[in-house]
Amino acid sequence: METSQKLFLSICLLILVCSCEDESKIKAQSMACFEYGMSHYQGTQESINAFAKAVEYDPTHAESWRELSIPFLKRGMPSLWKKYMDKAVELDPITWQGYRGYNYLWFYRDYKSAIADFDAIDSLTPNFTDAPQGHSVDFWRGIAYLGLKDYENSIAYFDKHIQKEIDESGEDWVEHEAFLYRGIAHYEAGNDEKALKSINTLLKYNSNFADAKYYKALILSKSCEKTLHNLHFDAMLRSSTMYAEELKQKLEKEKKAALLILNEAIENFKTGYSDQRPYVETIRQLYLEDYQFLKAKLESMD
Amino acid sequence: MQTTKLKLFFPIAIILAICIASCAKQPKEENYIPTENAFTTDAHYIDPENSLLSEGFEVCDENFILQYYNPERATYSKGKNGLRNFILSNYKNKNYTDSGYLNIRFVINCKGEAGRYVIHENDLNLTPKTFTKDLKDQLFELTTQLKKWNPNFTHDMYRDSYMYISYRIENGNITEIIP
Repeated sequence: METSQKLFLSICLLILVCSCEDESKIKAQSMACFEYGMSHYQGTQESINAFAKAVEYDPTHAESWRELSIPFLKRGMPSLWKKYMDKAVELDPITWQGYRGYNYLWFYRDYKSAIADFDAIDSLTPNFTDAPQGHSVDFWRGIAYLGLKDYENSIAYFDKHIQKEIDESGEDWVEHEAFLYRGIAHYEAGNDEKALKSINTLLKYNSNFADAKYYKALILSKSCEKTLHNLHFDAMLRSSTMYAEELKQKLEKEKKAALLILNEAIENFKTGYSDQRPYVETIRQLYLEDYQFLKAKLESMD
Repeated sequence: MQTTKLKLFFPIAIILAICIASCAKQPKEENYIPTENAFTTDAHYIDPENSLLSEGFEVCDENFILQYYNPERATYSKGKNGLRNFILSNYKNKNYTDSGYLNIRFVINCKGEAGRYVIHENDLNLTPKTFTKDLKDQLFELTTQLKKWNPNFTHDMYRDSYMYISYRIENGNITEIIP
């Protein structure tokens, strides 16, 4: 009788041990599927099925949901990206909400949704600046507000981001794009002086950045236009040949300076030192014809 | 006494072995497929039988169609500016009120020709919707007029690739052309 009781209790204990291990077993199976998915090319049937199986085992595994979403992001199938990405964010917002914002920003040019996600992740982690995809949320917000042409907010976030980087690591550690985009925001807001200041700071650390030189030449071309306007109207009104000659010389000097930097920009562009992104074009992306168009415009100023 | 102990030992050992085996079991290859809603193709696959303008369109290697972004990028022959200018200068908003993403996916073959088009329609929240037929037809027609593409190039050969164009539309106006 005593032996039967021992046997019964032993069996119960074993069942209990095994059932306790069920959860870890499921997690292990889910991870095995995740790893199998990662070992195959992104978007292949093997890969997406493995991630789908991973979340079938463990629906709380946010990273598998995220991995499942990415092929559809990169292939232009938005509803499936959203379906899976939202699950990842729901399960682990601290890890994935900033990343979803980054997706909204670049792949959908949905600047408002991007900002909402960047704001949300900022609130979730007070006293900590999140950096989805390697850049701070302030840097990303600067770009998103530039996309919305909300220059005030764009500049404010770039200023915040740049100052923090300067305080923590020094000005030479700041991403060059932060200076570029802040410069563009100032330029589009009509503040050429501040735009040039930001661009010049960039060029101090990267003298081969085609986009920076393009904007510098663009700002200089505005001075040329102003001088040209004066030459055509003011000088004629005054009927002063001396004043006209003075303006002509000024224009030539300004044109020469603008063309010099623009030609350098074109060389830099041709050797690949220009702002671009993988998968999608970057914000305010410049192409060779943009440089050539500005060059032709400058050369025609007589 | 000895016999009784042995009699007890064997059932316990068997149960223990079963438990350990079941706990340590890893999924087999066939278990990497979900039991419900398994994907039957790659994410990007476009079925020639169920796509538009696929008749007469040929790919160079049915088993090796890259994505537009790898590794050299398949691009429109007149660049992104050329593509944007062509679409924006020809598209007419005929008082449409639609908003959303009209995405057109297709294949660019190794000769730089386009075919096998499929259309995905979503609202601005990325939920499936249906666009006004005339808007959809117009943008599809314009997209198919983008004839000459630079094909992908890798391993010393021009290759086929999947491409997509996403039109972000707000109140009938195209506000972004992605990617």
